[in-house]
Amino acid sequence: MNSEVNVTEKDSDKTIVELKHVEKYYGELHALKDINLQVKKGEVVVLIGPSGSGKSTLCRTINRLESINSGEILIEGKKLPEGGAELAGLRAEIGMVFQSFNLFAHKSILDNVCMGPVDVLHRPKEEVKKEAMELLKRVGVDSQAQKMPAQLSGGQQQRAAIARSLAMHPKVMLFDEPTSALDPEMIQEVLDVMIELANEGMTMIVVTHEMNFARRVANRVVFMADGAIVEENTPEEFFTAPKSERAKEFLESINRH
Amino acid sequence: MNEQRTVRDALYEQPDAGTRKKITLVTVVSLFAIAVFMLYILKLFKDNGQFDEKYWSFFMRLTTWKFIGEGLLGTVEASLLAGVLALLIGFVFMVMRISFYKPLNMAGTALTEFTRGVPTLLFIYFFFLYVPKMGINLPSIWRVSLPVAISASGMVAEVLRSGVNAVPKGQREAALSIGMRETMVFTKIIFPQAIRYVIPALVSDLVIVVKDTTFSYIVNFPDLMQNAKVLISNYDALLSVYLMAAVIYVLINYLLNKVSVTLAKRGGMVPVVGR
Ligand SMILES: Nc1ncnc2c1ncn2[C@@H]1O[C@H](COP(=O)(O)OP(=O)(O)OP(=O)(O)O)[C@@H](O)[C@H]1O
Ligand SMILES: [Mg+2]
Repeated sequence: MNSEVNVTEKDSDKTIVELKHVEKYYGELHALKDINLQVKKGEVVVLIGPSGSGKSTLCRTINRLESINSGEILIEGKKLPEGGAELAGLRAEIGMVFQSFNLFAHKSILDNVCMGPVDVLHRPKEEVKKEAMELLKRVGVDSQAQKMPAQLSGGQQQRAAIARSLAMHPKVMLFDEPTSALDPEMIQEVLDVMIELANEGMTMIVVTHEMNFARRVANRVVFMADGAIVEENTPEEFFTAPKSERAKEFLESINRH
Repeated sequence: MNEQRTVRDALYEQPDAGTRKKITLVTVVSLFAIAVFMLYILKLFKDNGQFDEKYWSFFMRLTTWKFIGEGLLGTVEASLLAGVLALLIGFVFMVMRISFYKPLNMAGTALTEFTRGVPTLLFIYFFFLYVPKMGINLPSIWRVSLPVAISASGMVAEVLRSGVNAVPKGQREAALSIGMRETMVFTKIIFPQAIRYVIPALVSDLVIVVKDTTFSYIVNFPDLMQNAKVLISNYDALLSVYLMAAVIYVLINYLLNKVSVTLAKRGGMVPVVGR
C-alpha cells in the first residue's frame, strides 16, 4: 500500500459531515462553543487539544451519542435525526471506535463483527460471516475469531472493534483516542490499520495525540481548547509553526513529556 | 502494634503473626464452647428419651421414604414453579423500574418495594383466604407458589437491576453506534450480560424461595414439610422427623449453590478453553 497517496486526487467535493454553530452545555459547563466544521469525502481530520477541551464531546455529537443545545449537524447534507428508527439508521452509517474498545463482552470476536450486519441490516448470516472473516483478516485478528474479547490483547481488541465498524460499510468513521488505552508496543499495530484505512479513502475524524499518524495521513488538524476550535491547519504547519498562542503552548507542553 | 485500628482495617488487612495467634485462640475456644453446648442439648434429648428406638425405627421402612420422596417432589415442583414465576414477575418489575417513562418507573419502584417489604405469610393468607372468596379457585400448588413468587419478585427485580447497572456504559454506546435501537440494545447486549453477573445472587434468592415453600402446609399442598408433619403425627416423633427434614433442605440448598458455581463459571464472559 502506498502511503504517499496524493490527497488532492480524491473526489473531495462531497461534504460528508458538517457542523454549523453547534453549542453544547453540560449544565453550567459550556462544552462546545460555536463549532463550525466541514469534513469532505475521503478527508482525514485529526482533532487535538488539551484534556477537557471537548474533543470527545464533539466526536460524540456527530452520531448523537450526545445531544446538542443549538446549531445544526448535517450528514451528507441531511439534518441529523432526533431519535427513533431514523437516528438508528443514520448511526448504522457512522462508524465509531472507542478508547476502551467496547467489544460486546458476551460475544465471540466473529459474532461482534457479524451482529450489526445481521441484526441491524438483516443481511444473510452466511454471507456476513464470510465478509466478517475477510475483515478480521485485514486487521490481522482472523486467528482469534472464535475467542471472547477478554482473551485478546488490547491491540487485538481494538483492531477487532475497527473490523466491527467496517462491517457496517460506514460513510465516515469516528475515532476517539483509539490508542490511548494501549501499551506502547500495541499502538503501532492499531495505527497501521488506521493508516491503511485512510489511504483507501475512508473519511475519518480522529481524536488523537499521535503526531506521526497526523503527519502521515491527516489532511487537516483541528485544534480545540476550552470547547472552541482555536486553529485549523495542515499537519505540517500545525506541528512546526502553529498560528495560535494556545496551540504553541499546547505543543510545548506535550513535547516536554 | 499500632492503636487506632478501625473495624475496617481489622476486616480487610492481612493479619500479622500476633493477630493470627489471637484469631486461632478465639476460634478454638468458641468451637469448644459450641461443642459443649451441643453435647448438653444431646444429653437433654437423651434424658427425654428422644433417642429411643420407636422414634427412629420407621425410617427403616420403605413406605416412609416413599412418603418423604413424594413430599420432596412436591417441594421441588412448588419451588421450580415459584422460581420461574418470581423470575418473570421480577423481570417485569425491573423493566418498569429502569424505563424512562416516569409513571411506569414509579409503579415499578412501588411494586418492588411493596413485595420486598411484605412478609411471605401475608401473601399466602391473601391467596388462601381471600382469593377463593373472589370466586377464583387456584390449584393448591399455585396457592403456595404464586404468593411465594410474588414475595420474592421484588428481591429478584433488585438483583436483576443491579446486574443491568453493572454492565459498562460503553457496551450500550457501542451497540447504539452500530445502529441498534434501544430495545435491541437491551435484549441483545445489556440483559444477556447482566444475567451472567447475577446468577449467584439469583440462586441465593432461589434458596429463599425453597425455604418459603414450607408454607405449603397452610394451603394443604403436600410438600416435604407437610408430609413431615404427617409423619410426626403418625409416629409422634417430632425431633427425628424435623431433623431429617432439615438435613434434606440443607442438601437441596447445598446442591443449588453447587449449580450456581458451575453456572457462573460456564456463563462467564470467557468460555472454557476447548469448548
Ligand atoms: N457526561 C458529562 N457530564 C458532564 N460533563 C461532562 C460530560 N462529559 C464531558 N464533560 C465535561 O465536558 C468537558 C469536555 O469533555 P470531553 O470529554 O469532551 O473532553 P476531551 O477533550 O475529550 O478530554 P480528554 O482528552 O480528557 O478525553 C470536560 O470539562 C468534561 O468534564
Ligand atoms: Mg476525550
